[in-house]
Amino acid sequence: MIDTALAILLDAQNQDGGWSSVKGRKSNTESTSFALLALNSVEGGTFNRQKTTGLRWLLQHQKEDGSWSFNDTTEQSSWTTPVAALALMSFQDQRQRALKAAKWILTQEGRKPGWVASLLVRLSVVQKMTELDPYLSGWSWTPGAFSWVEPTSYSLITLKKLKGSLAETNCEERIRQGEMLIYDRMCENGGWNYGNSKVLGETLWPYPDVTAVALIALQDRPTSEANQKSLRSLDAMMREAGSGMALSWGILCLTLYDQDIREWKKVLLRNFEKTRFLGETKTLALSLLALGNGPSLFRI
Amino acid sequence: MLNRREFIKVSALASLSAVADGCRSSARWDRDSYRKTATSRVAILGAESYQASLEEIIRRGINLFKLDLKNKRIVLKPNLVEFDPKGVINTHPAVIEAAVTSFRSLGAREVVVAEGPGHRRDSEYLLTASGVFDVINQHRVRYVDLNTDDVRLIKLRSSFTGLGQLYLPETLFNADLLVSMPKLKTHHWAGVTLSLKNMFGVVPGAVYGWPKNTLHWAGIHRSILDINSSLPIPQFAIVDGIVGMEGNGPLQGQAKHSGVVILGDDLVAVDATAARLMKIEPRKIEYLEAADRFLGNIPYEKIELVGEPLERFQQDYRVIENFQELKVLTG
Repeated sequence: MIDTALAILLDAQNQDGGWSSVKGRKSNTESTSFALLALNSVEGGTFNRQKTTGLRWLLQHQKEDGSWSFNDTTEQSSWTTPVAALALMSFQDQRQRALKAAKWILTQEGRKPGWVASLLVRLSVVQKMTELDPYLSGWSWTPGAFSWVEPTSYSLITLKKLKGSLAETNCEERIRQGEMLIYDRMCENGGWNYGNSKVLGETLWPYPDVTAVALIALQDRPTSEANQKSLRSLDAMMREAGSGMALSWGILCLTLYDQDIREWKKVLLRNFEKTRFLGETKTLALSLLALGNGPSLFRI
Repeated sequence: MLNRREFIKVSALASLSAVADGCRSSARWDRDSYRKTATSRVAILGAESYQASLEEIIRRGINLFKLDLKNKRIVLKPNLVEFDPKGVINTHPAVIEAAVTSFRSLGAREVVVAEGPGHRRDSEYLLTASGVFDVINQHRVRYVDLNTDDVRLIKLRSSFTGLGQLYLPETLFNADLLVSMPKLKTHHWAGVTLSLKNMFGVVPGAVYGWPKNTLHWAGIHRSILDINSSLPIPQFAIVDGIVGMEGNGPLQGQAKHSGVVILGDDLVAVDATAARLMKIEPRKIEYLEAADRFLGNIPYEKIELVGEPLERFQQDYRVIENFQELKVLTG
């Protein structure tokens, strides 16, 4: 399966060096970043030409302020910035460009309710719509929007990996706030969905991919009760989901928590034969990361 | 923390000003987004179960409209927002399959299934768990994840949100007809979620996030209006009302059997009819009321119902406490 997935991934690289979400579309930052991470994780692989042109695409698309937009068509800086920074960190000589991205990340903060909504909150006497704390500070998908779990997790992983070089910044404080936000959004029985644990008093269920990404961001608190509960939740979700994305993120996460992932790798290999992961670049790349040295690239 | 009632008050105030402005002035929408006709046709066809001969029913329904399908590329946009094995959240795969085979048999060059799930990023999971993967695999249908499709920036043809412009997936620009295929459901924010609300799924998550939060901040009702006024190709609707959802929709409501499929080329008229079928007053749904001024028809007397009588399928769909006022039908 590794050879096949790798061949599909390499074949999908665009002429401009980048990768798109599926073969034949425009290159984008997320797909290119995950493809580069995957190529840097494959044991015994070299792919120098593909990595060089892919890295060139990524570097050429970094904006002056350190951020990336999703692709050439979209101008706005985006949530893909910490993902691109992680990809740069998988190359030995790109730390400065990754730091530039981290500094942009530190300038970003999810939107909070304005004064009208805040006033209403204080007057709140009836049933709550959601039970999250909207004043916690994390990261949004797009500047000016609310904070959500996945972009906050990507930002935390990047900042935690680079914090040794960010001593003169508010990095530690932002990390602390981001962690608080993630724990605040945790579902009742552990795990995370996009970022809402209850609506109208009814419990919402977690997703395996988001849970794994959040746990990777919180890997430096491995024994905390919340993490342990979420790990048990992740295991149950991986049994039910069976998709390439769920299994790959799950394997990456469980490896970082020193769990036995041998059976999961077999399931991943089996499921690839059923769907070929819809030919999605990100999922193919994640599966290669899960089966190769990927966990080391996400280790904080 | 914002509670539901407060949120509704705040959004209602904002929406009311937008909608009221819209009522007063055509400046809320461009002239070329005006597509209201004197009357609209909506088809109501009985389909007792998902085992029924759905292809025959849906083909018969499509044939009640003058659609030019020869050599056309059709994009089917089902509602695949989430999956719950105990729930009825999504458009049933049997309805999608029937639409695929119907459009093909009526001469379509290509039928594509496309969705941009609003909560989950994992399309493979949603497709396999919901049973849609088997349909697209068996019928060799191309699936497009609209969340990560290439995008094009468009100028919005109406200005309810104030966003001015919006990215839309390239797949829409390369097709001839967009078929909204919602589930018949109540919705805890919008009142109902039908063919117009289903178009939230065409907005790309890679640009706007999961959930498509920019649109929520801009107002759900207003976003529905701006998206639907600005779609680049003609639309058609096929509503899966065989088993609908009442109560705390769109995810956590209860299944309700209605045994019906609703079709039409005026999405406002289709949604108004579907709302009436749930004994919900369409004029009390903010976005429908505003859409009636330029996108289509709400009034009962302006909708030519074909197929079977509405009354045969009309049932009381429960709504959450804050939407009780929607349950007073006025016409």
